[in-house]
Amino acid sequence: MDSQDKQILDLIQSGFPLTPRPYAEVGRELGLTEAEVLARVRSLRQRGVIRRVGANFGSRSLGWRSTLCAAKVPEDRLEAFVAEVNRHPGVTHNYLRRHEFNVWFTYIGPDWDNVESTLAGITEKTGIPILNLPASKMFKIKVDFAMDDA
Amino acid sequence: MEKNAFTALEERILALAGDDLPDSPAPFADIAAAAGTDEETVLALLRRLKDDGIIRRFGATLRHQKAGWGHNAMVAWRVDDPDQALAVGEVMARHPQISHCYIRRTYPEWPYNLYTMIHGRNPGDCDQVAEGLSRSTGVTDYQMVQSVRELKKTSMRYFPKENEE
Repeated sequence: MDSQDKQILDLIQSGFPLTPRPYAEVGRELGLTEAEVLARVRSLRQRGVIRRVGANFGSRSLGWRSTLCAAKVPEDRLEAFVAEVNRHPGVTHNYLRRHEFNVWFTYIGPDWDNVESTLAGITEKTGIPILNLPASKMFKIKVDFAMDDA
Repeated sequence: MEKNAFTALEERILALAGDDLPDSPAPFADIAAAAGTDEETVLALLRRLKDDGIIRRFGATLRHQKAGWGHNAMVAWRVDDPDQALAVGEVMARHPQISHCYIRRTYPEWPYNLYTMIHGRNPGDCDQVAEGLSRSTGVTDYQMVQSVRELKKTSMRYFPKENEE
């Protein structure tokens, strides 16, 4: 990744232009042609630096409900538990962590009833209790990571 | 809160815009063609939802590991006094290496209520940030929950594609 890639990433994480020719606009900001910007973004996608380009919705502003969940899962039941959890489309992040509570995942559902019944269903199938940890106060969600901060 | 009511056309547009943009110099014209409308309708809808905060962010989502931010740790802090938890949360949220900061429900077996997600470029960065925050806020009871392995990471699809309904 060179400095021009980093400048592009800094611009398009939050400021992807909502205009007919977005890459031409990014190019104007950075002194590159539209074709150069498009080729660099394509390469960053192919190399896996960019996972996706598109809209990120606020679950809450769409009326959906989200929570963080934690579970203590014995080693020999880990695979089955993770498979059951990950099968739900509302599970967007799931991490194995170095802690007594070793599995931490997020779940997003259309309402609280759905959240609670889904978690209860996972526990019923796997026999593993789940801590449901909904947020009562949100201070920050930052999704931009500075690239060009050298 | 009441659910937003979108028209069928708007839902088609948002399903496409919430997926991965086509690799094209005019991605919004492509979305318009696929949804059966014109480019200006697509752009006007996306701009309005972004202004309203319903689209929280429009742009590239990175894989942090490949973007040079390969280390992260969740730290859960115990701050029993609710007013103090609010004050400490405000301070922690200002730290540039913290991406998420929340107060969450507690349980008798898990009394930690304030959560911070810390990101670092190098091994040890996250520990340093946590130690610094502990010193500056005076909160000494905390659990560092380091990630070992990503088991799933995806973006939520609020608007199903037509062939999935």
